[in-house]
Amino acid sequence: MRPENYQAKNHPPSHEFELNFGPNHPGIEGNYAFKVKLNGDTVLSARADGGYLHRGFEKLMEGRLWIQNIALVPRICVPDPVPMEVCYSLAIEELGGLEVPERAQWIRVMQLEMSRLAAHLFAFGGHAATTGMYTTMFWGVADRDLILDRFEELTGGRVYSIYNIPGGVRREVPDGFLERMSSLLDYLESRLPDYDNLFFRNQVFIKRARDVGAMTQEQALKWGVTGPNLRATGLAFDVRRDDPYLVYDQLDFEIPTEPGGDALSRNLVRRSELKQSIRILRQVIERLPSIRGPIRCPIPNPLAWNVPAGESYTRVESSKGELAYYVVSTGGDKPYRVHVRGPSSMHAVQVLENLAVGSRLEDVAQIMFSLDACPPEVDR
Amino acid sequence: MSNELENIPIRQELEVLQSGQKRTNPLANVFDGLVKFCRSRSMFMLHYCTGCGAIELPPAMTSRFDMERLGIQPMVTPRQADILLITGYVSIKTLKRIILTYEQMGSPKYVIGICSCTVNGGMYWQSYATAKVLRDYLPVDVYIAGCMPRPEAVISGLRELMEDISSGRAESWKKYYQHYDYYLGNQQKLFGEDWQTPTDIIAEARHYDLMTEHTLGEHTALLEKHQKPLEALEMRLSVKDKQKV
Repeated sequence: MRPENYQAKNHPPSHEFELNFGPNHPGIEGNYAFKVKLNGDTVLSARADGGYLHRGFEKLMEGRLWIQNIALVPRICVPDPVPMEVCYSLAIEELGGLEVPERAQWIRVMQLEMSRLAAHLFAFGGHAATTGMYTTMFWGVADRDLILDRFEELTGGRVYSIYNIPGGVRREVPDGFLERMSSLLDYLESRLPDYDNLFFRNQVFIKRARDVGAMTQEQALKWGVTGPNLRATGLAFDVRRDDPYLVYDQLDFEIPTEPGGDALSRNLVRRSELKQSIRILRQVIERLPSIRGPIRCPIPNPLAWNVPAGESYTRVESSKGELAYYVVSTGGDKPYRVHVRGPSSMHAVQVLENLAVGSRLEDVAQIMFSLDACPPEVDR
Repeated sequence: MSNELENIPIRQELEVLQSGQKRTNPLANVFDGLVKFCRSRSMFMLHYCTGCGAIELPPAMTSRFDMERLGIQPMVTPRQADILLITGYVSIKTLKRIILTYEQMGSPKYVIGICSCTVNGGMYWQSYATAKVLRDYLPVDVYIAGCMPRPEAVISGLRELMEDISSGRAESWKKYYQHYDYYLGNQQKLFGEDWQTPTDIIAEARHYDLMTEHTLGEHTALLEKHQKPLEALEMRLSVKDKQKV
C-alpha cells in the first residue's frame, strides 16, 4: 500500500543504476563514500564523495602555537601517523635553522620504518578482507600489534606517539629496546613466507587482483600518483633515495618495483617493501648504539617561540606516498599558513574515480584498498 | 487497528516488561531475566568509522583482544545491529548519517561514544566542521574517553554496557522517544529547521507507548510544517522495447 502523498515519477528507460557506496560500508576504507553509476555489474562512472572526516586542520593549525600543532598533525593520517610528525618537525627546523643531532635523526628513521611496517601490514590485511580472505587480516592486525607494543615502549603511545618535536625527539631509547626490536624483526621475517603462502601466492588473490584497477606509468605520473602505487607501474621513484632526508643517504636499501600497475602489483610492492624496511631497521639497530650524543638540540621557550619569518617545503616518503608540508611563518608564535600535500588526496579521488570506470562493482573495494588511500588525510 | 492490538493479551504483558515491574507469574520473571541475559551476551555491533578511534577496533575485534568471546560481532546493516559505535569526532556531514543510521536500528538499541571528541569535542574543540557533544543529538549509553582509548578500554566499556543491559539500566533508547523534541531541536539548530528523516519517530513512540509531554513540542511542529511529499522509492530500471524478449 502506498502512502497518501505518494507521487510516482516517470524515469527515462535505461539500464543504469545509481548506487551509494558508503560512507558506512565494510568495503570502504574509513568514512568515505562513492556515488557509482552501474550497468548491471559494470561501473560506468564513479564520483568520490568526501568531506565526512573534514576537521579543517589547516585552519586549526593557524590558531595554535607551533609546538601545539605537533599533537594535531598525526591525526591527519591515522594508520601511518609518524611521517606527519617528522615532516612537520623538519619544516620548522628548516625555518628556525635548527641542527638536529645525529642520534635523533637515527631514532626518527627507526620510527618511520616501524610505522611503514605497521601501515603495510594493515593495508594488505584490509585488501585481503575485501576479497574474503579474513585470515590474512587477522594475522596482519596481530603482527601490527606487536609493532605497536614497541611504539608504546619507545614513545608511550600505541598509535599517536607525539614523540618527534622540532629539534629532535622527546625521550631516550629505553634499555634493552634494541634487543627486543631485533627479536621482533626476526619474528616478522619468519612470518613473511607464511604471508606468501597464505596470501601473495594464493590463486584466489592472484586471480581476483590481476588486471584489476590497472594504470600505465604515463597515467600515474599525470594523475600525481606517488609511493608504492607509482612503483607498481615500474618507475623506481622514492623520496628516501632521490631526495634524501634525515640519514637515509647512509643506509643501504633497494627500491622494489613491479611492472603491472594493477592491484596485484601494488600489493607485491608492499610485500617487497616489508623486507626492505626490515633491512633498514636492522642497519639502524646496528648503528644506533655507536652514535652517542644528545637526542635534541636546545630550542627557545616553546610557549613563546617566534619562528623566524620565511617559508619551507619539506617532503618525506610515507607508506602511502609522498607527503609534504608547506609552512609559512611571518615571525609569529603561530604558523601563518600550513599546507599539507597528502598522497591520498590524489589516490582516493581522481585516481580511484578513473580506475573504477569499467571495473566490476565487487572490485571497487579492492581497488580502493590496493591504492591504500587514507580517508582522514583526503578530507583533512 | 489499534483497538484490535490492545485486545491481544500479550501486549499487556509487554507493557509490564517495558515498565520494569516484577510480574506476578514467577516463571515469567525468570524468563525476563533470561531474555536480558541473552540480550547482553549476543550483541551485534555496527561501528560507524567516524574518526580516528576506528583504528583501535580491528585489534579489539581480532585475535589479540578478541571481542567475540564476549559475544560481540561486527554487523554490516543497521537493521540487525544492537550497538552503534561512534568512533571519534563527528563532523556535521557525518552526524546526519549517524542520525539516519540510529533511527533505522531496531529497539532496543545502544550507543557507545568512543574517544574524547564525542564527549566534548576533544582536540577539535574550536573546529568549524565538527559537532562537539554527541549527547545533544543522540542518547548515549556509555562513553569511553581517551585519545584514543586502548583496546582494553574499549572492551571494558563494552563489558559495562553488558552489565547495564542485564541489570536493566541501559535504557537510553527510550529517552530518544520520550524527549524527541529536545534532540530534534538540537539537530535543527545544526542542520536548519527543514531537517527531515525518513523515520516517523512520533509514530514509533506511540507504538512503544513512550509518548511523554516532551515528545511533542515546538520543534516537532516544524517537522510537520516542512514535511515534503515522499519521493517514489522505485528502482530506476526499465527495459527498452527492443531488449524485451
